[in-house]
Amino acid sequence: MKTLWRILVILVVMGLVMGVTYAVVNAGGSVSLPGGEPRFEERGRPPFGEERFEGGRPEGREGGGWMFGIVKNVGVIAVVVTLIVLPKSVARKRRRSAAAG
Amino acid sequence: MSELSSSSRSSTRIKLTVDLVIFFAFLIAMDPRSSGIAVHEWLASAALAALVVHLLLSWDWIVQISRRFFGRVNLQTRINYLLNWLLFIDGSIMMLSGFMISEAVLPSLGITLPRNFAWRELHDLTANLFLLLLGLHTALHWGWVVDSFKRYIFKPLGGLFSAAKRKDVAA
Repeated sequence: MKTLWRILVILVVMGLVMGVTYAVVNAGGSVSLPGGEPRFEERGRPPFGEERFEGGRPEGREGGGWMFGIVKNVGVIAVVVTLIVLPKSVARKRRRSAAAG
Repeated sequence: MSELSSSSRSSTRIKLTVDLVIFFAFLIAMDPRSSGIAVHEWLASAALAALVVHLLLSWDWIVQISRRFFGRVNLQTRINYLLNWLLFIDGSIMMLSGFMISEAVLPSLGITLPRNFAWRELHDLTANLFLLLLGLHTALHWGWVVDSFKRYIFKPLGGLFSAAKRKDVAA
């Protein structure tokens, strides 16, 4: 029962965030134009599905290029972790050696 | 006492497993070019359940820090708490915008939504921000990650290898 209550709390908070976002985005007035034509096409962007995911791989990414996205994402996380963990670890070691000396 | 530590160990193990599942699912879902749009959408939808489990496993910490946030809490815990809220909000917006531009999950349920480019831009933006926040989240929990890996992955693996070695020597 306690777990169900907690799940409900999480989902309600998530729903609130989503509700506020939905209201803000729709209040921005960027919904589909009357007549069913989406506004993004006016800005020269292709419709959903045609731009990125369907119709084969983008140029320059053939032959093992499909792994690029995953490796890139791991790389970004690794860089962020290194940038934070490394200075912290160096500072801790310095503090330790200063305390010992 | 030992019951308590055993339950805490089991909770850490479950947490590590759930976190690893979320991490790898996120890595695959983050690259729809290689996984395909259907895998991207279904995996991300399933990650919602994993995210709820992750939050349930950290519930005590969340409640404790929420109560003491303006009281005596050290800076790192405070930053961590705010960062977790940012991750939660960003994740919620990413999920909503993902549903709003869904090409596989919602159509398979017979739901079609009006197309709106703003949702797609928002989805890209929140996904990129999520990646950065996930890096920060991992960095702030790096000590826990390393300890848990040592305890639940490397140590048991090392034990397996040394047992096999002993067997070989005995034979």
